[in-house]
Amino acid sequence: MSEIQRPAPGSAPGSAPGPASGPRGSLGVLAALDRRWIYLAMALAVAIPMLAPVRLPIVISKEVEAFHREIEALAPGDQVLFSFDYEPDVMAELDPMTEAILDRLFAKGIQVIAMTNYAGGVGIGQARLEAAARRHGKTYGTDYVFLGYNPDWSGTMLRLGESIKATFPVDQFGRPTAEIPLLATCDAYRDIELLVSIAGSQLSEFWAAYAGARYGQRMVSGNTAIQAIFIYPFYQSGQIKGFLGGLKGAAEYETLIERPAFGVRGMGSQSAGHLLIVALVIAGNVGYFLMRRKGLLQGNRLRAVERKGRS
Amino acid sequence: MSHDPSVWVTALLTLAIFSFLYRENRIFRFAEHLLVGVSAGYYVVQYFYSGVIKKMVIPMSQDLGANWVLLFGGLFGVLMFTRLSRRYGWAARYPIAFYVAAGAGYFIPSILEANVLKQIGGTLTAPAAAASPAAMISAFVLVAGVISCLIYFYFSVEHKGPVGTASRIGILFLMLGFGASFGYTVMGRITLLIGRFQFLFHDWLGWIG
Amino acid sequence: MIQRTLPIAFAIVFGVFMLAQYFVPHPWVARGYNTVLDWKQIVFGCTLTLGVFSLLRFHGRKLLRRDPGALFSGVALVSCIATVLAGIFFGIEGGPYRWLFERVQAPMQATLFSMLAFFVASASYRAFRARSAHATILLVAGCIVMLGRVPAGDILGFDAGGARYSLAGIASWILDIPNLAAKRGILIGVGLGMISTSLRIILGVERAYLGQSRSGGGGS
Repeated sequence: MSEIQRPAPGSAPGSAPGPASGPRGSLGVLAALDRRWIYLAMALAVAIPMLAPVRLPIVISKEVEAFHREIEALAPGDQVLFSFDYEPDVMAELDPMTEAILDRLFAKGIQVIAMTNYAGGVGIGQARLEAAARRHGKTYGTDYVFLGYNPDWSGTMLRLGESIKATFPVDQFGRPTAEIPLLATCDAYRDIELLVSIAGSQLSEFWAAYAGARYGQRMVSGNTAIQAIFIYPFYQSGQIKGFLGGLKGAAEYETLIERPAFGVRGMGSQSAGHLLIVALVIAGNVGYFLMRRKGLLQGNRLRAVERKGRS
Repeated sequence: MSHDPSVWVTALLTLAIFSFLYRENRIFRFAEHLLVGVSAGYYVVQYFYSGVIKKMVIPMSQDLGANWVLLFGGLFGVLMFTRLSRRYGWAARYPIAFYVAAGAGYFIPSILEANVLKQIGGTLTAPAAAASPAAMISAFVLVAGVISCLIYFYFSVEHKGPVGTASRIGILFLMLGFGASFGYTVMGRITLLIGRFQFLFHDWLGWIG
Repeated sequence: MIQRTLPIAFAIVFGVFMLAQYFVPHPWVARGYNTVLDWKQIVFGCTLTLGVFSLLRFHGRKLLRRDPGALFSGVALVSCIATVLAGIFFGIEGGPYRWLFERVQAPMQATLFSMLAFFVASASYRAFRARSAHATILLVAGCIVMLGRVPAGDILGFDAGGARYSLAGIASWILDIPNLAAKRGILIGVGLGMISTSLRIILGVERAYLGQSRSGGGGS
């Protein structure tokens, strides 16, 4: 609403004395609203449902059902390549699904070969794996392994198709991968049942291109909301068998595996935040159009005065 | 409320960053530069350990006979540092040329298959895969949408007549797609805030279970 | 020759090889392919390390010249050196290095990005205007998807003829059909564009990645 610029009365030569500059009344208040009030409104919209939780029904979408089917199709002893392709900036969106998936994999007795394509993913992956392993009494080296980070993600994705041990000669903790029991019978995509990419960037799409298209690796993904919107084409074409999108995706998956956690708990704040944004968009546009209408009317009156002056 | 000093450190740094919302201040700038420094230190250790120690030094120390060729990779890596020199910076062109071109080489077939051929296949087979009349109508809408979007992006032909009409339909689909992106972007941003409030209310203040 | 022409020849050789290896299943070609991939990872590790050095050089110069904000540059340098020393002397698996990541870097990075929620709220009120038909379509679709993808969208609806019609259903259709069509069009277009750029690099036509030569021409 601040973009309506009006000349001060009598400031321009030949201009008719117009109304006082700027809108008046409630429109004026809304037009001059300090953005910090908006910040406060957003903070309250997120905080209040957290402090006074409301349990909302979660409807499962088909892409999350497909994701769940892929995980449930795994048998105990199968090996899954789990890639923590995110950094701390999007932790809040991806940690809930990461924890839910790891819990499900460990509960089913699936062996997890974890890695990351981001340096910041090392700290995250290490912490999430250790926490999940503790919850399920899993042993490093036989139930799970953390290969760590490799620079050059595209080269890594391709190299894994030839040899995991050559791609990661040692794991994140310096232990030779040739000596890790879990990797004794697993050295390339052909030995891996499923690839799970949890990505805060386009990396899931590149996994589909390099691991999927070239080596035929079956995969599912968990993505931030911003990235999930781009996964739909890959899901529809069958390159990615199922995916979780954002916190809602995590909430749906937690509901499916009957493990309500941060995803489900966050839906109240998420809903309130979205309602606030929609209300702000509507309020901003209503104010804009009201201001424009007033401007048009005053403009017509101006034009009428100018015509009088010329005649 | 937490009694763990680590949690208090994290909480205070979190509030220092949030203080920017009121206005820019020295506390925020201190926290910002602390983040820059710690991140830089963290990343340089990880990059060097993962790219040089794990990939070159350890394999060569374990089996030099089989891994001596990695020395050439190390040589390329050293040449990259000549970029810091005005006089010898041209030497960095060799590893850059190697890296960019090698990546371009393997990029082509994989992306052609995944981003072009499989996407076209998914589009054309959508009507056949439809399970109901409503789904089939939606599938034809999908096909029309993909074709019209591609026509919009084809700027070698003037967008007039039938091409112009298809292009305008493509824009409609693009606007719907961007609207969906906007909605999901908002969703993502709010989730990030939920995460931080979760930490403050649960881990630090203990107000929620 | 050595400064410009030979690097381009380098690029052509490696680019053609990495493209050709996709179609040639010979063991020697596979060995060469694996070797090139290993070299790439080492080079990238050094490149990223170089990037961090450049950042430190920037802050170091600011500190030495006592520019405005030099004190904060000092904070950045000291914390960087402390983190590196923590990693070297106490290891990267645990200890102070890991503590700095989990208690300082990760939470602050997350907080910095979480502020975008406030900025998007402010932008929603002040900037997102339905000035044209296209902008209106964009905003309406965005609002439908926003409301449809939270439990509120599942609640807002009605039952008719045994089926449920809700905002969530409309949002789902927008995501599955028009959004998919748009993203697929972009994906195919960008993919073809990137393939053509890659071909230009491999053939030595595209040379922007080599930077400017100091002599101003394609000199040796």
